[in-house]
Amino acid sequence: MNLVETRLAKLARNGDRGAFEELVNLYKDKIFHLAYRMLGNKQEAEDAVQDTFLRVYNNLDRYDENQKFSTWIFRIGTNLCIDRLRKRKPTYSLDAEMPDSDGNDFYAMLASKDNLPVDQIILSETQQVIRRAIDTLPEKYKSVVILRYLHDMSLQEIGDVLKMPVTTVKTRVHRGREYLRKKLEADGNFSK
Amino acid sequence: MNCKQALPLMHEYLDGDLQGSEALDLKQHLLTCPECHAIFRQMETTDALVRSIPAPVASSDLTDRIMGSLPPVKKRSPWIQWVRKHPAVSVAAVFLLTMAGSFGSMWNNNTELMVRGTDLDRVIIQGDKVIVPKGETVKGNLVVENGELVVEDNANVEGNLVVIDGNMYLASTAHITGDKIRIDQALSWLWFKINEMVH
Repeated sequence: MNLVETRLAKLARNGDRGAFEELVNLYKDKIFHLAYRMLGNKQEAEDAVQDTFLRVYNNLDRYDENQKFSTWIFRIGTNLCIDRLRKRKPTYSLDAEMPDSDGNDFYAMLASKDNLPVDQIILSETQQVIRRAIDTLPEKYKSVVILRYLHDMSLQEIGDVLKMPVTTVKTRVHRGREYLRKKLEADGNFSK
Repeated sequence: MNCKQALPLMHEYLDGDLQGSEALDLKQHLLTCPECHAIFRQMETTDALVRSIPAPVASSDLTDRIMGSLPPVKKRSPWIQWVRKHPAVSVAAVFLLTMAGSFGSMWNNNTELMVRGTDLDRVIIQGDKVIVPKGETVKGNLVVENGELVVEDNANVEGNLVVIDGNMYLASTAHITGDKIRIDQALSWLWFKINEMVH
């Protein structure tokens, strides 16, 4: 149990804005990373982060101190991203079906622009391919893969966040991994 | 081990969940099966690639925007917090208050004379005075609220006499078979009302 975060959450619950700001600073990058990978674009990801913290703030009364704060905030963040994905499905599904052989599709352009200036981060072509592969992952594998690989969560933690049995999480990790492998293979990213 | 059995074990291995003997079995299979070995290498590469994706950088003003979007601090009174923490006690308290309030208002509002009884034609009412005249016999109980009850010489009451918020004057020769009760306080009045409701 992370005592610092629980203590901050208690202070924030009693109206301490400073304590809440500390929570924001501890988690905004993690939730942004989650949302960015879930949604595939920066603007919407930042909106999702803002929504997440607003919902956390409004529900501090209902935060159960016996569970990890990170589990709680990741659950809220993941659910908000999934909601957004579901809402936009009809308009974006055509995009997702399009062949992206030369790396010049909408997502890739958006993604490379987002990371400018690129002094420290130079994305290899393979990385762009994997990012696009994640973008096209079916929603139910996407959240699991992101929590597993990008947030280093254990299968148990992911189960807690998504409120599903560990066996389901495991199956989804396997299917997600298989999906990504096949995608990379189809794009010729494995030498030999 | 065949290739079909090997695939789930590869996933288990990459999850970090493969135990001793099964891990050995998988290793044996991979050494002898180039196809599975290739798939396993691809999976490992996939895992490594996914993990290597750099974290994106959020706008520097994100924290300010988040803090700016919060609703103003609600000052919650300690009363409301107490109520939230003790819902059962609160409900009981509200109930009692309502009960007490309604009884209280009933008690305060009743300032008019009221007479109840089973044999009222034998009784004389003058202003706020209720008189059982000389030698008269009243059968059953007699209840007087907000008034005076006077029982004159040799009058008989074959029941209880109750006076609420008023006075009772009994002649020394009056004859009462039941109890003589006088109530002039809210609490005992309440008690009387409750008894009345119960019976």
